[in-house]
Amino acid sequence: MTINRAALTLVLLGTLVVAPVAKAQVKHIEMRVEGMT
Amino acid sequence: MKQHLGRQSGVQRVNVSLLDGKVDITPKEDGHIDPIQLLKATYDSGVSTAELDLTARGKIVKDASGSLALEVAPNQSFTLEPNELSKQMEALAGSATEVTLRGQLYKKPAGKKKPELPKELKLLILEIQKKE
Repeated sequence: MTINRAALTLVLLGTLVVAPVAKAQVKHIEMRVEGMT
Repeated sequence: MKQHLGRQSGVQRVNVSLLDGKVDITPKEDGHIDPIQLLKATYDSGVSTAELDLTARGKIVKDASGSLALEVAPNQSFTLEPNELSKQMEALAGSATEVTLRGQLYKKPAGKKKPELPKELKLLILEIQKKE
């Protein structure tokens, strides 16, 4: 029971730490170019 | 050019519109994409970039020189070019708030046909899309 609670706490903490980092990212890039044929 | 760009790391999809010279790049989910490499790949394919805009989500931090930057990954951040919108970001520096910004990373200097590529790009915020 104690182990399960500890494991659950670790998973919750891991989610809190990892989730915001995973969301941060470059979402879209748009370029305007010249000289394209 | 589409193939050149498609081979760059972190690129999922490239859409090229020949009519208006627009290139849309969709990065891979959680992939690392380097805008300078995209500019180089475009340059190498014989086309010059007039402008590069980017939409990114991350945290506002202060870099080593004390300038504000948008951190999109632990090893990737874009220094913010000071303007009215970047002033609104000052209060968020170092906080856990995540922002989604659209900004201009590169604009070709006027009067130069094929200018040298910059070594560092600064993000000029055009729009603050989300704060959370």
